[in-house]
Amino acid sequence: MLHETDSANNILELSDYRVGFRTERGLAKAVDGVSLSLKRGSTLAIVGESGSGKTVLNRGIMGLLGANIIEGGSAKFQGEELVNTNRQKLWGTKMAMIFQDPMTSLNPVMKVGNQVSEPLRLHQGMSRKEARDRTVELFTLVGIPEPAKRFGEYPHQLSGGMRQRVMISIALAIEPDILIADEPTTSLDVTVQKYILDLLVDVQSKSNMSMVIITHDLGVARGRADEIMVMYGGRIMEKAPSETVFQEMKHPYTQALLSSIPRLNDPKHTRLTPIEGFPPDIVDGPQGCKFAARCKYAQDTCLTLAPEETTIDKHTYFCHFPVGTDAGSEALKSNEDKGFTAAGLRIKSKGEVV
Amino acid sequence: MPKPIRRLIGLLGLLTIVSMVTFGAMNFLGDPLFNILGPVAADVDNPESLKVIEEAKAQYHLDKSLPERWARWAWDFVRGDFGVQFSSSGQPPVSDLIKERLPRTLELMAVAQIIAVSLAIPWSVLAASRANRRTDKISTITAFAFVSIPSFAMAVILFYFFSVQWDLLPDTYTATDPFWGISHDHRLIQLILPGFTLGIGSAAAYQRLLRTDLITTLQQDFILMAKSKGVSKRRVLYSHALRPSLFSMITLLAINIGFMIGGSLVVEQFFRIPGIGSAVVEATLREDFPVVLAIVMIVSAGFMVFNYLADYLYTLIDPRVRNEDTSKPRKITSMGM
Ligand SMILES: Nc1ncnc2c1ncn2[C@@H]1O[C@H](COP(=O)(O)OP(=O)(O)OP(=O)(O)O)[C@@H](O)[C@H]1O
Ligand code: SF4
Ligand SMILES: [Mg+2]
Repeated sequence: MLHETDSANNILELSDYRVGFRTERGLAKAVDGVSLSLKRGSTLAIVGESGSGKTVLNRGIMGLLGANIIEGGSAKFQGEELVNTNRQKLWGTKMAMIFQDPMTSLNPVMKVGNQVSEPLRLHQGMSRKEARDRTVELFTLVGIPEPAKRFGEYPHQLSGGMRQRVMISIALAIEPDILIADEPTTSLDVTVQKYILDLLVDVQSKSNMSMVIITHDLGVARGRADEIMVMYGGRIMEKAPSETVFQEMKHPYTQALLSSIPRLNDPKHTRLTPIEGFPPDIVDGPQGCKFAARCKYAQDTCLTLAPEETTIDKHTYFCHFPVGTDAGSEALKSNEDKGFTAAGLRIKSKGEVV
Repeated sequence: MPKPIRRLIGLLGLLTIVSMVTFGAMNFLGDPLFNILGPVAADVDNPESLKVIEEAKAQYHLDKSLPERWARWAWDFVRGDFGVQFSSSGQPPVSDLIKERLPRTLELMAVAQIIAVSLAIPWSVLAASRANRRTDKISTITAFAFVSIPSFAMAVILFYFFSVQWDLLPDTYTATDPFWGISHDHRLIQLILPGFTLGIGSAAAYQRLLRTDLITTLQQDFILMAKSKGVSKRRVLYSHALRPSLFSMITLLAINIGFMIGGSLVVEQFFRIPGIGSAVVEATLREDFPVVLAIVMIVSAGFMVFNYLADYLYTLIDPRVRNEDTSKPRKITSMGM
């Protein structure tokens, strides 16, 4: 249970938060019971493979998914319940979002300057001139050269890195309490990725806003986030302070992700599936642990019984046979001896997937 | 050779052929001399008549071969000399008639286009923002109805209700009334019913295209981005989604200018507007060869020019192509029907 003081300090509190899409096959449970709390001014990184529900989770919180969804559980923003409410009043004032692809998320036929000024004029009552001056100021802040000239240009006239800086300017113009950056660098050249990420962290720490960085790259989270949450199949697998995840990760999925980190100086990476196999079906998913089919540690229990939450200090994970524990080591060893896991995944003795 | 230039040359060729066919047809099927002189033309036994005939033949170059006459006509035409009307009374130049009649038709078409666009835009936005819901479905049925009603029927219905029954709008067009103004004695108001008749089908066609394009645009990331900036729903539709969705509609609008000239023929007859449509009908009945030829040429040229421009117009609203290669025309891919 959270203490009173903690609650007051938390900007966002999710408890068993769920988002489902109505599909022809049934309810697609894209987010399936996520609980977390985010402190004012801190940064959370959400990491997971493609399809793990990162985007749905965040757009769900913001209320940007439209009408055709089923939302459940609780999501409190500054103490106020969001689930099944209209969140329009938070848009452009308290919450801001940065999307993955700055080419498609900037209006192609609107001058970039006007796209930044728009929230200033709509929500902060600035005059055209004031908004323009502020925009130029923000452009300078995010390192856009010749900011006054750029104001009148269209997105297609800017490079990918410049466009993402424009996106960051929009987010900063809003001066939100929480900024959600959904894979802010995935579509950018490797050389600009690091700059954009550091810029984000820099403006975040200066303005005391809270930030959620979504990525499928644990390397991006390292050193930039206070806390890391690993997601898979719409659920939390593991959540811990940043360094704990790297030093003492407990979840086999985190371990697998970590061993497949693409580094920033690797050739341009897009979406990788670092681990053999595919994410689980979210309409008709596995009964036990969602990761069982791909887990080197999996035992019979994992197939039938979903693991309970284990929390030690600030470290939370969901696993029957955690990495680095006796139970975990034993499970891995017995699988390696057999050559396959309880789910039938074939493995080599070194623990490599065949 | 760049494609725009090639297309332009093609258009000029097509215009030349149109003029040859019209010129030839009017000479073979009609008797120009009879149209000019009346019964005198057949009175070849009377020396006095013969003299008149010879004079007329010389004046109108009727003694020359057909190709030569065409060439003379074409040379005059490109210099803006459309010849004289066939009439026994003073023979005013064709260009006088055109100057008098064409602006009225252009006025009618402008009013019709403005009505069509100002109906189509809010109509499409409404339908697209409620895509596939009841409002949208009803609006689709309405659009089909408007597209399929013949303009004559539309004219009768509108005229009967707005003019005869409710007396809201004037029933007569008076060419000598001033244009600007909002009383029944201003042409602007007198053109509302004709403009509506001419424009309503176009409004429906524009709506089909714009609705489809808007629905596509509304699924783009930048719309979600605009929403997340706290832009109101209305502003998202009109300031963010509308402009990038206008391409196909503008293309159709330009192409439609040509079709509207055809439509204005019926509308001008019904509402008794002495425009170019009425002029060509009257001239055809009189077999006034130079007038018909001039109007056919002007209308064909207008039709082709706007068709040509239609493919390049979108560069006006899309900054992405403004400084780039505009030789790739953007085609309308679907009418959304
Ligand atoms: N509108 C929708 N209708 C049905 N299913 C959806 C919808 N949007 C997303 N999903 C499903 O929800 C799951 C989670 O998707 P989400 O986009 O959140 O993944 P992600 O973690 O953001 O992945 P990525 O790294 O590719 O962005 C996916 O299986 C996806 O197919
Ligand atoms: S050990 Fe079992 S519970 Fe833990 S991740 Fe693997 S399959 Fe899931
Ligand atoms: Mg995503």
